[in-house]
This record gives sequence, structure tokens and C-alpha cells, in this order.
Amino acid sequence: MKSVADIFTIVAVCAGSFFFLAGTVGLLRFPDSLTRLHALTKADNLGLGLVVLGLLPQANGFLGGLKLVAVWLLVQLAGATVAQVIAEALRRRGPPP
Amino acid sequence: MTEFLLGAAGFILLTVTVGLVRILAGPGNIDRTAAAQLLGTGGIAALLLVAGATGARGAEDVALGLALLAAFASVAFVNSVEQRPSDNAERADP
Amino acid sequence: MKPLASRLGLFLVFWLMIAGYAPGDLPVGLAAAALATWASLRLLPAGNGRVRLLPLVGLALHFFRQSVSAGAQVAWLAFRPSMPIHPGFIAYATRLQWAGARNAFCALSSLLPGTLPAGSDDHGSLSIHCLDVDQPVADDLAEEEGLFLQMVRDD
Repeated sequence: MKSVADIFTIVAVCAGSFFFLAGTVGLLRFPDSLTRLHALTKADNLGLGLVVLGLLPQANGFLGGLKLVAVWLLVQLAGATVAQVIAEALRRRGPPP
Repeated sequence: MTEFLLGAAGFILLTVTVGLVRILAGPGNIDRTAAAQLLGTGGIAALLLVAGATGARGAEDVALGLALLAAFASVAFVNSVEQRPSDNAERADP
Repeated sequence: MKPLASRLGLFLVFWLMIAGYAPGDLPVGLAAAALATWASLRLLPAGNGRVRLLPLVGLALHFFRQSVSAGAQVAWLAFRPSMPIHPGFIAYATRLQWAGARNAFCALSSLLPGTLPAGSDDHGSLSIHCLDVDQPVADDLAEEEGLFLQMVRDD
């Protein structure tokens, strides 16, 4: 017999895994580096967000949960910055020959 | 629950590995920088899942460090490339 | 003085989130927060921009919803056999003046469905890469910018 918290974890982590799969499928199918960057940042960010959400009920107390949220926030901030920097570098380089 | 979380971690690592193979194919070095981004989300998700499954202390700290290092590495690399006249110089090198 | 104190407080709270609270560790946390404040004031001097807290919560929820639909859109496109995308760049003339506000807006719009900011062009417009240039991207961005402007006072 699983508790409600465990079911919540399973549903959210499964949904998160689905978005990681979608990100990789997009990575394989999208036509160029910039569109691949879209797939990478948007799908994987949502995947990580759902995984963190799913892990919250299993977290080690309130502070453990806060720390998970802090990791997620930092990854969001870093991801948003890095995606733009790479996109700008790709734009300056122009289309590949 | 432990088996489920470990299974999910394995699944995400598998998608990250497939994605890495695609990204490392290029074509250019800037394109490959996106690998850091992929590791910075997928790798961290897998790490957090393993931490949740095994209760290993400190795994979240490793995740935090990985997130920050991935970001700094990408920004530093792109800046070093941008200082050259163009990325074409980089491509011309064998 | 005010930005110094608020940043110091913010960094200390963040340090507590990461490291956990223990009275013996507090000096380390204070030192780390002080260093972070020094670095942040150096790298991002206090500007004229102000952030209003209440609209910030609403905006955070709004962008959270948007980032969910952005992920869903990519998933939908990735799994669809025909993949209807028309990628390209658009130039978006932003109303934001303060560099900090611009950066924050770019970071937020990188979470929106189908858009990815790629720096500024030579005329000071933001260069935005879109998954589908046939969509009314500029109108959507203007709407998001309006919401954003309710939160920051940009002058």
C-alpha cells in the first residue's frame, strides 16, 4: 500500500522523465543547432522541475526541500543565461557552411 | 520507492547519453557547448534522484556544484571564442 | 546603503537554504554573504530600477505556467512526424532601458514557448530566435514586456 505522497512522487517523476525523453527526441530531430538549443533548454528544464517537484515529499525535512528548490532555481538561472550566450555565439557565427 | 527512483535516474541518464552523442557530433565547438547545458539539467536530475533513493548526504551539494560549474564553463568558453575575429578561424583549424 | 543591506540579507538567506542552519557555521555564512554582496555590487551596481514585490509573485506564477507550456510545445513538436517549424530570427525593439531589467527580461523570455533571446543587434534591438517566425512573436513579447514593466520601475 503506497501513501499519497509516494503516488505523487511517482507521477511527477514519470512526467519529468517523459520531458527528458522529449528533449532528447527533439535534439535528434530538430534541423539546426539553434532549434536543438530550444529543445534542450525548454524540455529539460521542465523535466528537471517536475523531478524536483516529485522529490519534495521524499525530502529530508523542510530544509531538505528548500535545498532542492534552491538547486532548481540555480539551474534555471544558469540555464537561462547559458542558452542565451550560446544562442548569441551561434548567431554571430552565422549559418554553417 | 528506492527501485523506482533509481530506475528513473537510469532512464534520464540514458536520454542524456543519447543527447550527448548527438551534441558532440557538432558541427562546431560552440554547438558542443550545449553539452554542458544538457549535463547541467539531466545530470543533476539523475543525481537528485539517486540522492532521494539512497539518502546519500551531500549529493545535493554535488548537484549544486555541477550546476554552477556547467554555467561558468559554457560562459567562459563562449567568451574565449568571441574574442577572436570569428568562429570561422576555429573551424579552419584542423 | 539600502541595496547593500537587502543584498546581504538575500545572500544570507540563500546560504542558509543551501547549507542549513547551525549556530557554529553562521560566521562562515556571514563571510560568504559579504563576499557575494561585494561581488554583486561590483558586477551589477545598484541602478535606478526597482523591483516591486507583489507583482513579482504574480509574474513568477505567470512565467512558471509559460515555461510549462514551452516544454509541452517542444515535446509536441518533437514527437509529431511532420514537425511544423519555421525557425528564424526576429529583431525586437525593447522598451526597457536599464541593462539589469533587459537581462532579467531576456532570461524570462528564454522560458517562453518558441523564443530564445540571442543578444542585441547593432541597432540596440534584441535579437530573438524563434521556432516559428510565422507566429505573432513580437506581439506576444510586447505583452510579456508589459507584465514585466508592472514589476520593475525602469527609469
